Amino acid sequence: MRSLDPVSPAILSRVMKPARYTGHEWNSVVKNSSAVTVNFALAMPDVYEVGMSNLGLKILYQILNDRPDTFAERVYAPWVDMEAEMRNAGILLYTLETKRPVAECDIIGFSLQYELSYSNVLNMLDLAGIPVLAAKRGEEHPLVVCGGPCAFNAEPMADFVDFFILGEAEEVISEVAAAIADWKQAGKPGGKPAVLKQLAKLQGIYVPGFYEVEYHDDGQAAGIRPLMPEAKPVISKRVIKDLDAVTFATKPIVPFIEIVHDRIMLELFRGCTRGCRFCQAGILYRPVRERKMETLINYVQELVDNTGYNEISLVSLSSADYSCLSPLIKQLIARFKQQGVSVSLPSLRIDSFSIDLAKQVQQVRKSGLTFAPEAGTQRLRDVINKGVTEDDLTEAVSAAFKSGWSTIKLYFMIGLPTETDEDVAGIAVLAQRVSDLYKQITGRKGAKITVSVSSFVPKPHTAFQWFGQNSIEEIERKQKLLRSLIKDRSISLSWHDARTSFLEGVFARGDRRLGKVLLRAWQNGAKFDGWSEHFNYDVWMDAFAAEGLDPAVYASRNRELSEFLPWEHLSAGVDKSFLAREWQAAQNAAFTPDCRREQCGVCGVCQGLDVKIIDRGQA
Amino acid sequence: MARLRLMITRGKEVRYVSHLDFAGTIERAIRRAKLPAAYSEGFNPHMKLAFASALAVGVTSDAEYLDIELTEELDLASVETRLKPQLPEGIGLKAAKYMGKRSQALMAVVNLATYEITVPLATGAVWETAAASINKFNSETKVIYIKESPKGRREIDIKEYFAAPVAIRPVTDKQAAIIIGLSIKITPEGSVKPAEVLTALAVNFGLPIDKDNALINRTGLYVTDGRVCRSPIEL
Repeated sequence: MRSLDPVSPAILSRVMKPARYTGHEWNSVVKNSSAVTVNFALAMPDVYEVGMSNLGLKILYQILNDRPDTFAERVYAPWVDMEAEMRNAGILLYTLETKRPVAECDIIGFSLQYELSYSNVLNMLDLAGIPVLAAKRGEEHPLVVCGGPCAFNAEPMADFVDFFILGEAEEVISEVAAAIADWKQAGKPGGKPAVLKQLAKLQGIYVPGFYEVEYHDDGQAAGIRPLMPEAKPVISKRVIKDLDAVTFATKPIVPFIEIVHDRIMLELFRGCTRGCRFCQAGILYRPVRERKMETLINYVQELVDNTGYNEISLVSLSSADYSCLSPLIKQLIARFKQQGVSVSLPSLRIDSFSIDLAKQVQQVRKSGLTFAPEAGTQRLRDVINKGVTEDDLTEAVSAAFKSGWSTIKLYFMIGLPTETDEDVAGIAVLAQRVSDLYKQITGRKGAKITVSVSSFVPKPHTAFQWFGQNSIEEIERKQKLLRSLIKDRSISLSWHDARTSFLEGVFARGDRRLGKVLLRAWQNGAKFDGWSEHFNYDVWMDAFAAEGLDPAVYASRNRELSEFLPWEHLSAGVDKSFLAREWQAAQNAAFTPDCRREQCGVCGVCQGLDVKIIDRGQA
Repeated sequence: MARLRLMITRGKEVRYVSHLDFAGTIERAIRRAKLPAAYSEGFNPHMKLAFASALAVGVTSDAEYLDIELTEELDLASVETRLKPQLPEGIGLKAAKYMGKRSQALMAVVNLATYEITVPLATGAVWETAAASINKFNSETKVIYIKESPKGRREIDIKEYFAAPVAIRPVTDKQAAIIIGLSIKITPEGSVKPAEVLTALAVNFGLPIDKDNALINRTGLYVTDGRVCRSPIEL
């Protein structure tokens, strides 16, 4: 085992937040790497504070390190100052646990949360001394695997990745480790192609090298063809049937420095059945599967004991939908208050029930409340199937103001399908109404209303996957229009850069040809594209031009229902016909109810994957 | 209520953790250890912890002190058995003692810090040159240093903060590295950082060192009246 740090004090004292790079955190696991069979590097193509906050990686770290034959270490993208120092001093990307080169591991797994982190995957591989193209890597290099939501359209990353994991990796990661262990112990017969064939037999594993993409004469992807019997025509996601029966991250690493989510992350359930048509997570994590309240309380006890954190954050796609939320919060507060532990609710549904909960959770009081109406008019909220009305918002915000809150954050999107200028103006109207409500209720000024407007990016596997994204010019015009309509000084407006959303849209629905663009853009300096100070639009546009591809063809074009979509062989379990029905319903502003408590919408996931909705409140 | 004083170390594993983050790390360890810590009132209760003196990022220490308020007086052996297994690598518990209710705050009483700096000599430099620079520094009565802080530039006489002359010794063989010993006063008006002394020695007195690779270790914090020198835990 190495104990020597590869980085000198001179370097560490020159970079920002050096504790990102030094390891030794509480609950980090250090094993003798030569005493295990499989050495894993778990990576996030983003900085330490972001990577360390990802719940999925925490869970995988615990599952893999619970295996006696496996050692999983961590690696994150060094910030640009550290990268420059490393390249200058010839330091290879190293793991935080043992400080050895990442290239010495058998397998490096990246969590792909966001399309604009792809360039960082390439950059990290290169910094590790590993060829970025899978075809250029030899037997001596680690296998490269990617998972996370972006794996559901793996094609733009296909050139760089040996295999992808679709769905809930804790369901399959042990099978992957076991397959690699067996192969290694047998002396690696057949080399990498053999182990990849073995892996391809597992449900949820996609080996892009085993497929060939067919193109139309105009260059559009026409289909994808398996090249060998191990490669299934359609790869279905892995899904956990019973969340109470799998390992949760009860012994997470406690960092020394503050990270994005620096608290206990308690996942109440997976999935969301509300059916917002823009929401990719709502499809990818279907169906809803709740954990038992006893399970959750036991987790919290373990987490408090193991971490020393004094804050519990309830994390799920829509935590207020947990069927036992009120009793759970009461019990958590009663049981852990003495130890100085508080509870926080990050995402709230728009109703007064939520306000009652927020009142119980006094921690929220100082930080303000966040609501997501998503669209400015009822018509557009019906198009996206948001399922809340202006009365819901008025009622919730009134309750909040009456209870003493004065800071309200409102989330909206612009660029949604069928959106008109009237819908954009509706955002300003709604914000003004909230501001007026404060004066009515409290009799004074001083509300702080933050309106945050993001640009809608259509994502694969959603009802809006066929929709042509608004152009950069159109989004900027709408941003300007909205800005001109907000006059009240208690309302502040913020929005996302239209150009980053455009690029996100290109890669979200991109195909395998984009690998060349990605490679070229990275070679020309693209990295940390999700960080505005590093995003360089021109580098990307030059790369598209050099490769002879038009990004607008990917992002801005309305797609035909009959058209082949580059992610059709990657299945989240939801039928394409269901999405098509939802796309049609959106045009008619027709409401589709929550399938959990009302009618089944026949999306196909429960039937196709043999998994049931688990609602503890019904039991 | 009882006031517990702890003496802890900060090793190389945690040297790059800032003072605030270090305090947070200790707080979480105390919570894991289930010591009966007292919390402040209010919406955002916090543990009542007080450190003697902040340590700069990158600096290790053999002797850090902190006071913590407990709601009951747990016996010291239990404090040790509970807390030690909960401390991350690089943080060691050296001593614990209950302080009288009327004892003064740590920060108010500590007035002397000692450091040892291990630093490589610059390429080609010899021990004799290094020793000569230190002697020259020691013989000066006044050394002006320009301190840059967010509040602006300020001239200070760093000699005013020296409780003893700078000591120097070779690490092993005379070519490789030297160890510099500092004894620095902490006054209500401020103090001087070892890194600043090192800069002054290198820039103004020609000390031939590879300054960026210096390893600074705080060897002690003391309460002194000029004659007797005691550690805060010996009070």
